[in-house]
Amino acid sequence: MATDVETLAIRADTRRRWALALPAVTIIGLFSILPLGVVVVYSFLTPGDYGNVKWVFSLDGWFQVLFERDIFDDTVSLSDAHLTILGRSVALSLATTLITLILGVPTAWFIATRPAGQRAFWLFLITIPFWTNLLVRTIAVQEMIRNEGIFNRLFQWLGLIDDPIPMMFTNFAILLGMAYVFLPLMVLPVYAAIERFDFRLAEAGYDLYASRVYCLRKVVLPQVKAGIIAGSILVFVPSLGAYVTPRIMGGGKTMMLGNLIETQFGQGRNWPLGAALSLALTALVLVALVWYTRLTTKERRNG
Amino acid sequence: MLDIRDLTKSFGKGDSTVTALHEVSFTIAEGEFFTLLGPSGCGKTTLLRLIAGFEPPSGGALVLDGQDIAQMPPNRRPVNTVFQNYALFPHMTVAQNVGFALGAQGRPKDEIARTVARMLDLVQLGHLAHRKSGELSGGQQQRVALARALAPKPRILLLDEPLSALDMKLRKEMQVELKRLQQETGLTFIFVTHDQEEALTMSDRIAVMSGGRIQQIATPRELYDQPANRFVAGFIGESNFLDASCAHGKLVLPQAGAPLPVTHPDGPVTLMVRPEHVFLGPAPGAGLSVPARVERLVYFGTDTHVHLMLADGAGLVARVQNALRGGAPCAEGDAISITLPADALRLLPKEAA
Amino acid sequence: MARRSFDIRRLPGAATLAITCFVILYIPLVILVVNSLNAGKAINVWEGISLRWYATALQNEGFLNAASTSLILAATAALVATVTATMAALATTRSKGFRGEGTINLVLNQPLMVPEIVLAIALLIILAQVKQVTGYTGLWYLIIAHSAFCIPFAYMPVRARLQGMDLTLETAASDLYASRFYTFRKVTLPLLAPAVLAGFMLAFVVSLDDVVISEFLKSPGQDTLPTYLLGQLRRNLTSEIYAISSLLLLISVLIVAGSWLLTRKKT
Repeated sequence: MATDVETLAIRADTRRRWALALPAVTIIGLFSILPLGVVVVYSFLTPGDYGNVKWVFSLDGWFQVLFERDIFDDTVSLSDAHLTILGRSVALSLATTLITLILGVPTAWFIATRPAGQRAFWLFLITIPFWTNLLVRTIAVQEMIRNEGIFNRLFQWLGLIDDPIPMMFTNFAILLGMAYVFLPLMVLPVYAAIERFDFRLAEAGYDLYASRVYCLRKVVLPQVKAGIIAGSILVFVPSLGAYVTPRIMGGGKTMMLGNLIETQFGQGRNWPLGAALSLALTALVLVALVWYTRLTTKERRNG
Repeated sequence: MLDIRDLTKSFGKGDSTVTALHEVSFTIAEGEFFTLLGPSGCGKTTLLRLIAGFEPPSGGALVLDGQDIAQMPPNRRPVNTVFQNYALFPHMTVAQNVGFALGAQGRPKDEIARTVARMLDLVQLGHLAHRKSGELSGGQQQRVALARALAPKPRILLLDEPLSALDMKLRKEMQVELKRLQQETGLTFIFVTHDQEEALTMSDRIAVMSGGRIQQIATPRELYDQPANRFVAGFIGESNFLDASCAHGKLVLPQAGAPLPVTHPDGPVTLMVRPEHVFLGPAPGAGLSVPARVERLVYFGTDTHVHLMLADGAGLVARVQNALRGGAPCAEGDAISITLPADALRLLPKEAA
Repeated sequence: MARRSFDIRRLPGAATLAITCFVILYIPLVILVVNSLNAGKAINVWEGISLRWYATALQNEGFLNAASTSLILAATAALVATVTATMAALATTRSKGFRGEGTINLVLNQPLMVPEIVLAIALLIILAQVKQVTGYTGLWYLIIAHSAFCIPFAYMPVRARLQGMDLTLETAASDLYASRFYTFRKVTLPLLAPAVLAGFMLAFVVSLDDVVISEFLKSPGQDTLPTYLLGQLRRNLTSEIYAISSLLLLISVLIVAGSWLLTRKKT
């Protein structure tokens, strides 16, 4: 039986908590949620003649995300340009995740299995690139593969090639750049999961006749899986929305979704299409995040 | 000095309401060492938290020195708590911890320093004043917690199972220490514990609690010798219970020979007898003589427990001091006659099982 | 034949891949720094070690302006984010649940769920019009926008610390005659301080790291270090760019080292 006094106390407590949270909620509301709402509205409007929009309802923005209409005979076909970019974004993001998994998981394992005193040093080595400006790191990778970069000069000096291999402004360049800048994002959560793992459990597995592989699969993997999934999401999501790295490594020729969106907002471009593309990208990211949340909450319920 | 009237506390709403305290009433006198004793979940900690003011009561009154403090916030009540996990502020030194309350009350610095020094002397920790609380042993933390709660000179000191985190030896030392402190300061202590030995050795009076209700309030001796009901008898010390009945001024135990004259209203009763009072063989004086079989002898060092079975299968334990006559005067399997002395028998109201 | 180790910690190949990983992570950074030390004018010709490009950068007004803008922006945004996020964390922890708790948590994490470029575009659309209406083109648009996406980063450590905090400490304080405010000042805040500091540093670095949102929202003459660098990059690679990049790298090394020393002391 809750008395009136208690009900009043609960209400006062709720009001106090909302008041405390209000500044943060307001800032995010005005500078993140509201603008996103405007994007939603813009995606249903008509493009203006010199950029911006006309306040006329239209579904063209959304339609043009995947389709295009022929200027002369009005026939509808899939938009090759957009599909290529969409496909590239997803494929490169998946590839980035895969590469960082292959390099990152063994690295995390290596760090977590060092003696406790040494771990700090190895972690320190991972955190420095992690905290370094993304643009700086992209410039550093670019330096490796540009025509006069270290690779080409090395190959030329070795006599393997005569003319530099053009590697910049390709899918490969973007992939290399993204894998490089997002690698620390994979190592840290996987490390956290392995570090929590109690290696006496593996000994118990051996004691119960498990082979090394069986032990890894049945004892270790289930316990560090959450970390691996977290790392994959942390790499996949920013890869999908990447803008800076593809812009420098792709040079405006090889675009990803982020760059395609940007080009829609220049003078005389198609703002509603840009808005619709933005929301499509956000939706893709949300799908990944929701999938992750469901996976981890299920884990927690089972574990 | 502290008058608790119909104090009630329930948690939750609607169907999920749990009542932790049912209209509890009693009075605590000035300078008393009063203990709330009971198993976990009996409501003793809830009662303590209500007195401290950490939770508002759902009903009833808490009258301290003639003033109802039930709705007063904890920082206005002249009542201080020693917490189970001590709750020492980890970022402060011992001295800062002890002086916290005086600082909160805005007392002058030199007064705080003097009081802190006096309190640390009282708990013999003067030499550790400038240590951080995390650097202390369990026993030392306990003393700091005591000094901290005593420093603002509360009307009542509340102690929430303060010894439970200590090891056996330290706990015994602290029991003596606490009693000494209480007698030296003349303060009223309300002590919560689930440890009956702790309660019996330290308290002036004990309230035994179960299911959110007070079962009995009495001195340790009265509790042991005159338990009010089967719960108290079972919780404090060891007891044997036998079903019996009273009829026409006589106590009838089916397994026994001759009934015993008693002054008790007619009807079924629970007969209680402590193991150390069960006498193997015939005994001088009035008593119930019962035939029994020796099932098992369990050696306990100072004494031996003799597990007995009566004719109808009821069990009974007798305790024989090994110093007397070289231990139990029987062997497993013996059929003997035991005596339940009349002055050791307690008749308790029979409760539904 | 050597006896195979039974220790599962020694996975064959893991050490090799890990060392490879560290080499991959560091070689580009080392080459960047080496390039910045080139005494020559042409970036592709090595002419010996010199700090001349650092000197050039430090005399370059554009760089200095960008550096000061970045510093003011990151410090102010991190401060705003940390203060508001700490208040919010105090609101959403240590309760038995209250109306709107889920909503507040969702709002506070919302910036993490939207790609930077989308947020940048969204802010661009709305702020372009606000700038026209108000005529104000100062740094506060950037400061508040940075605060918004820094709040989740400041919120996380403070919230985690609050969730792990022993509630009886505050109860004990209230038992010892402390008012709500005195308890906050003397007990809650000192215990929270390391997490608040961590939140501030995280927010500071996240703000300093941002390219996209600053690039889209900046008014003329409001370059931050990253947008200045991006602008320079559009022209030509120069040793000065390497020098500026190396300086940014140095800042992160200092921040990481600083935070390590801080946490070391605690433990």
